[in-house]
Amino acid sequence: MEKYDVIVVGAGNGGLCAATTCAKAGYRVLLLEKHNLPGGCATSFVRGRFEFEPSLHELCDESTNPRMRSMKQIYADLGIDTKFLREEMLYRVICKGPNGYDYRIRAGKEGFLDSMEEACPGSRAPLNTMFELNYLFDAAQIYMDDCGGVSGMNPITLITKYGDFIRAAGNSTDKFLDALGMDDKTKSLTNTYWGYLGDPPRDLNAMHFISLLAAYVEGKPSMPYDRSHGMSLAAVKALQNYGGEVWYNSEVTEFLYDEEGAAIGVVANDEKIYAKKIISNVIPNNVLNLSDNKFVKKSMRKLANARKLGMSIITVYLGLDCTMEELGVDDYSVFVVKDPDANVQYDQRKDMGLYIVNCLNKTIPDASPEGTCMLFFTIPSFDGDFPENLKPQDYKKYKNALAEKYIRDYEELLGIDIMSHIEEISVATPVTFARYLSTPNGTIYGYMSQSWDNVINRTVFKDLENKVKNMRFCGGHSLRGDGYPSGFITGEMMANEIIAELKEGK
Amino acid sequence: MAKSMIPKLPLYPFVLSAAQRVIEVARTPDGPVKKLEDYPVNKLANALHPAKQFLVVRKVIEHSPDMKTYVFSPDYSKGTERLAYFSAGSYLSLNYADENIQFTRPYSLSSSPKKSLSNHYCITIKRVEDGIASNYILDHWVEGTKVVASAPLGDFTYEPLRDAKHVIGIAGGSGITPFRSMAFAIADGDEDFDLTILYGSRAKKDAVFTDELLKLSETCPRVKLVNVLSNSKAKGCEQGFITADLIKKYAPEGEDYSIFLCGPQAMYEFVDKEIAKLGLRPKFVRHELFGEYFHPEKNADYTGDISGEFTLTVKMAGKTFTIPAKADTSILRSLEAAGINAPNQCRSGRCGWCHAQLLSGEVYTPASVDGRRIGDIEYGYIHACCSFPLSDLTIDIPPVAK
Repeated sequence: MEKYDVIVVGAGNGGLCAATTCAKAGYRVLLLEKHNLPGGCATSFVRGRFEFEPSLHELCDESTNPRMRSMKQIYADLGIDTKFLREEMLYRVICKGPNGYDYRIRAGKEGFLDSMEEACPGSRAPLNTMFELNYLFDAAQIYMDDCGGVSGMNPITLITKYGDFIRAAGNSTDKFLDALGMDDKTKSLTNTYWGYLGDPPRDLNAMHFISLLAAYVEGKPSMPYDRSHGMSLAAVKALQNYGGEVWYNSEVTEFLYDEEGAAIGVVANDEKIYAKKIISNVIPNNVLNLSDNKFVKKSMRKLANARKLGMSIITVYLGLDCTMEELGVDDYSVFVVKDPDANVQYDQRKDMGLYIVNCLNKTIPDASPEGTCMLFFTIPSFDGDFPENLKPQDYKKYKNALAEKYIRDYEELLGIDIMSHIEEISVATPVTFARYLSTPNGTIYGYMSQSWDNVINRTVFKDLENKVKNMRFCGGHSLRGDGYPSGFITGEMMANEIIAELKEGK
Repeated sequence: MAKSMIPKLPLYPFVLSAAQRVIEVARTPDGPVKKLEDYPVNKLANALHPAKQFLVVRKVIEHSPDMKTYVFSPDYSKGTERLAYFSAGSYLSLNYADENIQFTRPYSLSSSPKKSLSNHYCITIKRVEDGIASNYILDHWVEGTKVVASAPLGDFTYEPLRDAKHVIGIAGGSGITPFRSMAFAIADGDEDFDLTILYGSRAKKDAVFTDELLKLSETCPRVKLVNVLSNSKAKGCEQGFITADLIKKYAPEGEDYSIFLCGPQAMYEFVDKEIAKLGLRPKFVRHELFGEYFHPEKNADYTGDISGEFTLTVKMAGKTFTIPAKADTSILRSLEAAGINAPNQCRSGRCGWCHAQLLSGEVYTPASVDGRRIGDIEYGYIHACCSFPLSDLTIDIPPVAK
């Protein structure tokens, strides 16, 4: 007999949520993690006097409809208790060049509309429509959920009642914003967050992007007070309270199946561990490589091979020996773009098309010791962007040159002196993420949510694809694409599917 | 039918996009999914940071009966083909086991980064009183001894965007090793800074690598070595201890300099007081690992009974062990004494490799080596290498990763 009802592989945001949800429902849960810490990228690291947030920019923890699951609701329901601080300013965006601009856009719907109207007169009406449409998108998704997935839906109802959802779900962000009648400048500012979803607006699914933007605007972004590491430990605490177990340094080296190809367990620490159900927070590519090929469905292999890998990032973490006031920085989140057109930002990404600079002390004043502050640079790096033949002996010089280029650019842009205050520096690249996450080319969420692999299609095809009996996938590579909330939401969703199967004795 | 707010957007792309998904998958030829290690970024990650490096001692150089350099090459028979490149100042966590003993210890790489490209690593070990591992190594390791090493680790490296162009390296005893590596890296053009090493020894005969470094400085004037002898006098050497005045004497005038320190704990205690007199910003003073912590009772905030003996219950990936634990011994050492292989690298409270959950009981962690994260303190996690039991304990600590 299996010792566990559910084995969850990988303790990222998705795995933590899935494991805790199953344990809360009373099932015997084992969460296996290859590292000695939980969280995946939701962690922290210490250098000298500083504890850095490695990947999180801002949590979008609320949904725009109480019936849509949000991270906040999931955490509350699971009894995960951790402190968040909320940010009132959505972002500052600085566009360089002759058509450049520099605006601060407030969080909260009214604040957002006001600051957008100031920046782009006439933008209030189309943006209002955008929010109205987002409420409709929420209603459409609730309708779909109530129908129990694609198979239970009435296509006539979907088209007659939720036609605009179908329009947004089938078109790109560019086309959607044009259809709202936005001028270029309004589009430019509205698109600021495109990098969070890792796809330029010409390909980015409109429904996906608008729901993300609306959730950030209306919910206001927040940050975990004791870094993402504290947030992950809080989830572990809840899991343990429900009787779940976590084993660290316990990498899964094989997935086990019965003769019919149903998942029955895994190998970790050279030991076969059996369970009724498996939830993988590990990307399908790796699961397929850790499975005997005779149990892998051809369709899953082909899907994995057809998909484009998602983005990775280059990050520069700086601990500075001056306060943010002394430094001359007064924003949490600053987007620096080279061109107002977000598609050009994507095309010029290797030439400073877009980078983001965060100063955690703005949101969490005591995030670092008195008299100091922290800066965190993020530069998107897509599959194939990283130099293929970089030699190990050139890596340090390569990453320092890159870091210097961005630091100097930001210094010049704001007229500040960062360089002479650097007390700690750490530079991470896709190589770092490849090492830490064990994902192909260091992708942080999994797959690019490009045209046909957008989140809508992932949901539509959910019941047809990635079908391994007794197994589910959660995380950014699952249904919801990039971002922390995807992990929480798909973790809970997959756990609930597994729980339903266990209840029915399937 | 609800009136559309975006009538210009067509409905059909929704279906088209779904159809495209079916087509894209169908037209992708079936074949194995690319292995992780075949992606170029993962290849570089594995080259820079292999999970393990199997090494074999190729040569032993005896500087004195109490100090030897071990030259390693890869143990090809175990599958290690290339040694990982590193940044000068890095250390290896070496794991060794034979029928008598098993231990894991961190040692700085004393060879140049460049030589790692021709599969050559060196560590230099000095005998220390009560040093279980160092003494065993000096007495038993010979040509052919096999060792398992971590990837190169640590952050006692020169960072050009952070450190001053001129570094004063303060070395004591085997603390010269990372500076030797840095000196060669500068001479090889792999690092770009000026290095003045103030090397504290009792007598000149104790100052290993002196001749070699002096010779190097003849061809590479960016590297300078100053022997500082505490118990004797010798030509061309400073006499006494490494004081604030001595540092000032060798520091560049009118410009910033960084101080890097590597040596025994007693040296840190003395020199740190001297450095404090110089009024440098914290960013310009960097310490190599403190080393293992002993005698927690010497701290004013220690509240336990140092002669206490407790029971330690250890949960490790589904197994439970019960072992004795003494108040004066770190939890990591108690685990090792009981034959439990627990994860560790720096053994100085910094790297977090021995991260463990404290399920019950109380421990004492000296503030100076408490490198934990905020969340660890909030949720009850400890670093086993520098936590001392104050009561019976239950901890959950992971096994050593395979």
